[in-house]
Amino acid sequence: QYKHYKQFDIFENAVGRPSSSSFPKHLQRTPVVCPCQISQAIMSIFEYNGAAIIAMAGKECVAIGSDLRFGVQLQTMTTDCPKAYKIHDKLYIGLSGLGTDAQSFHQQLVFRHNMYKLREERNIKPTTFGHMVSSMLYEKRFGPYFTAPVIAGLEEDGTPYLCGMDSIGAMETAKDFMVQGTAPESLYGMCESMWRPDMEPEELFETLSQCLLSGVDRDALAGWGAMVHVITKDKVISRTLKGRMD
Amino acid sequence: MVLKLDTSLLDRPAFTHSHRDELGEDAQIACHASTPGAQGFPLPAVRELDSFERQVVEMVKPAHGTTTLGFIFEHGVIIAVDSRATMGSYISSQTVKKVIEINPYLLGTMAGGAADCQFWERNLGQQCRLYELANGKRITVRAASKLLANTMFSYRGMGLSMGTMVAGYDHTGPGLYYVDSDGQRTQGQRFSVGSGSLYAYGILDQGYKWDLSVEDAIELGQRAIYHATFRDAASGGTASVYHVTPDGWKKVRGDDVLDLHSRYYPKPELHPTNAVEVL
Repeated sequence: QYKHYKQFDIFENAVGRPSSSSFPKHLQRTPVVCPCQISQAIMSIFEYNGAAIIAMAGKECVAIGSDLRFGVQLQTMTTDCPKAYKIHDKLYIGLSGLGTDAQSFHQQLVFRHNMYKLREERNIKPTTFGHMVSSMLYEKRFGPYFTAPVIAGLEEDGTPYLCGMDSIGAMETAKDFMVQGTAPESLYGMCESMWRPDMEPEELFETLSQCLLSGVDRDALAGWGAMVHVITKDKVISRTLKGRMD
Repeated sequence: MVLKLDTSLLDRPAFTHSHRDELGEDAQIACHASTPGAQGFPLPAVRELDSFERQVVEMVKPAHGTTTLGFIFEHGVIIAVDSRATMGSYISSQTVKKVIEINPYLLGTMAGGAADCQFWERNLGQQCRLYELANGKRITVRAASKLLANTMFSYRGMGLSMGTMVAGYDHTGPGLYYVDSDGQRTQGQRFSVGSGSLYAYGILDQGYKWDLSVEDAIELGQRAIYHATFRDAASGGTASVYHVTPDGWKKVRGDDVLDLHSRYYPKPELHPTNAVEVL
């Protein structure tokens, strides 16, 4: 089968790796060209860039994965833009929807977490973070960020924490999985059929990867590779997946 | 007290001769089987025909997600297509047959509304066969494309969506015509149609030479489709390539785009759209 994985790196006590608040480097050099002859009417502001994010919970571990496509409507620009960002070693947030809002909102979150660390002298708990994100989104109720987050983390005692929100902060926690993106139905279908409770980290990674890769095969605006982070008590394993590039 | 049911809508069919008279000349021509090829389709029985037609056009219009290309070279005609169908951002199929085999020496491609392309190109096949029987010889590509273009023109403004290339071989040599649902019919040596056409043109224009060998021409068509499927979200699936010669057409390639990707970029990390450090 065409799905095979490349083990990218293993982070022991993942510290020191800078978070990927990466402004796509190519955009700093070249202007963006629009395929102007074929003018595509925008279907929705959430479908301008395209994304697919899944977070799943296992036995004392969580995993979060996203596709790697960065595109503008129908044109694919680059294939190195992950949508799951690290807050701290045991907390990741995936931001779907409009790319610029996802980036800006992520930068706000990094700022808020840095201030929190200075004041509280510890990392933020996932539950607290979830509520903070929810109220930050609702603050912009009448001019929202067009981005819907998925939060995946591990509590102090090792229990997984999963929650997802819409773009104005309606929070919903889950014990099994959370999906967001431009093809939620495909992703839900895959997750619903493949998720089982109490999966070990390796199995969780397999399941999430299969769900993600198969789900984005039915989405024109997401795919072109995937990246999955598996968070356990002592380390974070991040892998880049090869998928269909069409 | 008896409840009286209103059965007036069952009284007479919506579309009769008297109703036809009210519609006007143009509509009558469209309804009539005036040209041998054009069918007589009943018009929708709505009060406001124009706005209804405009809504139909809007409904079908977004469906141009595809990449098809064709070019003439020394040894014949190459036609290459992808195989993806999308409904908005949902991929409805990765295995659509976008080359319609009109007859053993004529090919038509599909872009736009799938139903429109399939139906009218099959209709063109019927007309070509009738021509053969009536005249005792094969129809030329020029005449076949003219038949299709005339049919399209007679339905102009009614919401058909079709952008096709008619390719084939006849006694005058190779022929390639672009025909679309606006009634446009253009002869040419190189065409690409669909949302991914701009990406395909880039590869096609750069690699094209009149005296390409057959293998190189097939490879060019396949590579152009592959690059279009990579950049365009609405194109993908498999890249099919057909080669048309004086003896007819032959399907020469049908590779999945994923295999092509690993063939052209065996080290995916080195792909230009991948930054060196992904994390």
